[in-house]
Amino acid sequence: MNVIENIQQKLGITEPSVESGGVHWLNPGTMNVRELAKTLLAMKARFITITAYQLPKEEGLRFEYHWDLDGTLLGFPYLLAGNSIDSLYDLTEAVDWIEREIHEGYAVDFIGRDYEPLLLREGDALGVNLREEVKK
Amino acid sequence: MSYKIPMGPYHPGLEEPYKLDMICEGETVTDAKLHIGFNFRGIEHLAETRNYIQVIALMERVCGICSNIHTLTLCQAMEGLTGLTPPPRAQYIRVVMAELERLHSHVLWAGIAAKLMGFKTMFMTCFEIREKVMDVLQAISGNRVNYSMNRIGGVNRNIDDPLALLSMIEQLEGEMVKTVIPIFTTSSTARSRCAGIGVLTTEKALSCGVVGPVARASGVGQDLRKAAPYAAYAEMDFEVPVQPDGDVKARLLVRALEIMESCKILRQALTKMPPGEIDTGDGKFNFITGTATSRVEAPRGEVLYSVSWKEGSRNPNRVHVRTPTFANMPAIRWMVMGARLADTPLIQASIDPCYSCTDR
Repeated sequence: MNVIENIQQKLGITEPSVESGGVHWLNPGTMNVRELAKTLLAMKARFITITAYQLPKEEGLRFEYHWDLDGTLLGFPYLLAGNSIDSLYDLTEAVDWIEREIHEGYAVDFIGRDYEPLLLREGDALGVNLREEVKK
Repeated sequence: MSYKIPMGPYHPGLEEPYKLDMICEGETVTDAKLHIGFNFRGIEHLAETRNYIQVIALMERVCGICSNIHTLTLCQAMEGLTGLTPPPRAQYIRVVMAELERLHSHVLWAGIAAKLMGFKTMFMTCFEIREKVMDVLQAISGNRVNYSMNRIGGVNRNIDDPLALLSMIEQLEGEMVKTVIPIFTTSSTARSRCAGIGVLTTEKALSCGVVGPVARASGVGQDLRKAAPYAAYAEMDFEVPVQPDGDVKARLLVRALEIMESCKILRQALTKMPPGEIDTGDGKFNFITGTATSRVEAPRGEVLYSVSWKEGSRNPNRVHVRTPTFANMPAIRWMVMGARLADTPLIQASIDPCYSCTDR
């Protein structure tokens, strides 16, 4: 069993993975991001980063969670209908700064954590740098 | 009674501005808080306004030390979106540039660490050695900081006579073996300032997700050049130095040993460099709609670029950069807790931080 098959089995993902753009993409379906993180951490995967994309029109945001397992780069996409998603900070402190950065850049709320300013200063407006409607 | 000591944002011990607020009991640091953002330039946002040529020049300016690594990672991601594969000679040249950059970065760090130890003569020695590496980088690329070597589908400049560079590698290796490594490992100054201070345990290194020499000095043997080879690294024979102690001395040792491994890689890349083209040719390509991600082992650890493009567009939709210092810096809090206040400049410097990279 290779790394990807092992992950699919552990996560209960039946949809085949797609290797594209240097990433093995796995669709987490309805799996909560915290459940996903707990399973990956138990497998000794390393959290790398979250990449946030604002989708066109009013389709919301797409988050890509990147993890590394034995040199294999994994991607798990999540679509945010609203402006919030569960925080992983209490599960792994490696997410701390990127959650704070996305909170400041896209005005997204990571549920279950507090924030202190990271790149912005106290009182600066959230979403100014990367959120389309705020930029305008 | 506890009191707060701010270090920075402007401080003689810091190469660039950031701030470390330390809570102390007497001379002992009990907790610390980091503040970044003083170099925030909005580069990711700016990248969306640049075309596929301009964005390479822009991202080269994320960092003044590992500028080549940023364009390499970006170009690899863009090659994923254009379907181009650089020719073998270009892949070898990319390895040579990446390892020369690692050499000058590690030797620069060794110099700064020596200065923070109060070892000024060692600082001068390291910078003299680094200058020789910079000369080679300049001879290849024409530049000392932003080399402009990478392009989509290859590199911009050839190395006409790779074997001529071997003498520099031998000279550098000789200096490292004769002077730098023995002094850093045996001198009482280095030992007393580095051994047992700023410890990051393996467990903490894993939970913080640290990368590069910081991880390897805490017993976590990850290196993308081995685990997920890119360019021509799959054809290179080298070791990944790992130290278990997690202190400043271990970080120093890992980098010193990596210098030796870099010399080994450089010797192989220069000797085995295949003939042929250095790019894919006519410069014509089309981007497909989608996202591509690339990772590279920079001198400070893993760099990741996620690039999103829409077919027909000249500009990227989004460029996201995760730099190694962004992953490593939060661990400084755990390294300085319990340390003597006087050791904190050296401890924070031991991760070889790049604040410009971190803030982007």
